[in-house]
Amino acid sequence: MKITNGKDFWAGAMFIAFGLAFMLISQNYAMGNAVRMGPAYFPTVLGGMLAVLGAAIFLRAFVSKVAHPLAVFPFRLWFVVGGLILGVIAFYTQPLRDAGAMAQIAHELLAGLAIGLLFAAFGPRSLWVILFSVVLFGYLLKPLGLVLATGALIFGSAWGGHEFKVKEVTILFVALAIFAVYAFVKGLGLPMNIWPAFLD
Amino acid sequence: MEALLTNLGLGFGVALSLQNLFYCFMGVVLGTLIGVLPGIGPVATIAMLLPVTFTLNPTSALIMLAGIYYGAQYGGSTTSILINLPGESSSVVTCLDGYQMARQGRAGPALGIAAIGSFFAGCVSTVIIALFAPPLAEVALKFGPAEYFSLMVLGLIAATVLAHGSLIKAIAMVILGLLLGLVGTDVNSGVARFSFGVSELSDGIGFVSVAMGVFGFAEIINNLEQKEQREVFTKKVTGLLPTWQDIRDSAPSILRGTALGSFLGILPGGGALLASFAAYTLEKKVSKNSANFGKGAIQGVAAPESANNAGAQTSFIPLLTLGIPSNPVMALMIGAMMIQGIAPGPQVMTERPQLFWGMIASMWIGNLMLVILNLPLIGMWIKLLTVPYRMLYPAILLFCGVGVYSLSNSPFDVMQTAAFGVVGYIWVKLECEPAPLILGFILGPLMEENLRRAMLLSRGDATVFFQRPISLTMLLIAAFLLLIVVAPVVRKKREEAFVEA
Repeated sequence: MKITNGKDFWAGAMFIAFGLAFMLISQNYAMGNAVRMGPAYFPTVLGGMLAVLGAAIFLRAFVSKVAHPLAVFPFRLWFVVGGLILGVIAFYTQPLRDAGAMAQIAHELLAGLAIGLLFAAFGPRSLWVILFSVVLFGYLLKPLGLVLATGALIFGSAWGGHEFKVKEVTILFVALAIFAVYAFVKGLGLPMNIWPAFLD
Repeated sequence: MEALLTNLGLGFGVALSLQNLFYCFMGVVLGTLIGVLPGIGPVATIAMLLPVTFTLNPTSALIMLAGIYYGAQYGGSTTSILINLPGESSSVVTCLDGYQMARQGRAGPALGIAAIGSFFAGCVSTVIIALFAPPLAEVALKFGPAEYFSLMVLGLIAATVLAHGSLIKAIAMVILGLLLGLVGTDVNSGVARFSFGVSELSDGIGFVSVAMGVFGFAEIINNLEQKEQREVFTKKVTGLLPTWQDIRDSAPSILRGTALGSFLGILPGGGALLASFAAYTLEKKVSKNSANFGKGAIQGVAAPESANNAGAQTSFIPLLTLGIPSNPVMALMIGAMMIQGIAPGPQVMTERPQLFWGMIASMWIGNLMLVILNLPLIGMWIKLLTVPYRMLYPAILLFCGVGVYSLSNSPFDVMQTAAFGVVGYIWVKLECEPAPLILGFILGPLMEENLRRAMLLSRGDATVFFQRPISLTMLLIAAFLLLIVVAPVVRKKREEAFVEA
């Protein structure tokens, strides 16, 4: 048996995994019966259908006339393994509500690193650089304010592209920061602080 | 007829208020803007603006969002014609003949005929909505849960049949979408499903996050992967007015495109994209000198451009009358309505006539604005095309980021969106179309709810779906659609149709 269509192979595997996962997790909820369906009923049925379709796509990968290599997109296995390990550690070491600020920050950093690794496992450099700058923007918005968070996003994402010209990006940053402050905070009245919280 | 005129009168009264005119204008300007710019589509834009609509009143919000969708159809043609790159997926076929016309120095007439065709189609389809929506809504009021369930099955099947690429993958994506839609608290039992103890997930996965991640972020990454090549062939467009010969040549094409587009827009799974493809194929079939197509035939611009505008507008019919989205943009409109506390469905027309008729009237006004925006001001849009992509995507990312963040003022949503960006990128690479997934996602909870109700009413008898005539008809159509696609002859044709375009 030889895999001819790499895209079908991975797509099938993904659908099977999703289908089975939804079916398995559904087992934690009440099934009910056809008259009174419990929360597990519909997802179990759908998960089963998805797994079957996934299996069909998976098998098609071996007989398909369309040839695609198995390496469909950049994939780094060790990043996934590392991300999963860190993620599990982060999940089970959640600090208590009254834990100190340092413990909280350490935990968030750990979780962030885990997720970052999972993002970085797929795709080209631009994928994880750009998406990571977006996530950073989200987490910096409250503590550092709109202007600095925008800076992180613009410089980060521009660095993820092909060309990075400092002057051009700086102009872009200044223009967008001014626009964002006036349009979103002053104009639309979105509740965001413009400058870092500790300066207010 | 008289009722129609009273209703339209009411609608124009609403749409002509200063505030609504302003939001209509904002919508069509934004629509044209993102239509012209390749790499960002109406789905991502509307997703971006959803949080902003919190603060508006429902009518203004929907008028603006609708304007973005049909405005994008106008703008998309500009990019297709001038740089042979579709500004919008529904303008892909316009590249074929539009760009050739531009190379022959006839960019002006190509743009002109695209705008004229779009305007004509926009007017006609506005009337079609006004004529057909009320009777359809009347029928829909009689629908029970069984009918609704079957209708959704039909809608989802139709969406997969019309998606390009592999049918089986499209169906799998629909089911995956339905499942993702189920994440969160189950209304009947109060159990938080698939939330892994994450409190943010017990409200469900945010629709905006999915749409923006899959259509916005994944798009940008894919665009960056391909080296940018953009050449504005025509720097200055002169002579926008087509000659009499042009108009005589393209009038029948505009009519056919409008008719076909209006029809295909109403179908579940339809909309601007399908309409433009179908119209081009039809035009090529009926044309006496089909050899001219692809070499700058004006009919090849007129027909798809009319069709995509007609389709964009008539796809509001299933949304407004049945509460069922026929494409991802309409799914977002449902999201916008729900944010405003309006349950989409046939009761919208009777309970909120100002909203319903105001939105329809605004479409006509919006089309008028678009002609003005697109013809005399074309130079401005061309300038915009010279802005390189590396300056654009950071800006798009910023707007996306602010948009998602302000949904609930939490970084969690931003993270979620980025995660869907990764997944969306993988899907593109695996040739799994995200559009069916989005439809499944929005319909997941609705489908489960109606299935439960129908089964409860029939005391667990699943044959209820076959006993009720309307429900049976819809299931039969769905089965028929599946059958004809699987049939080898059609399958080949379908592949050809998508490849050719």
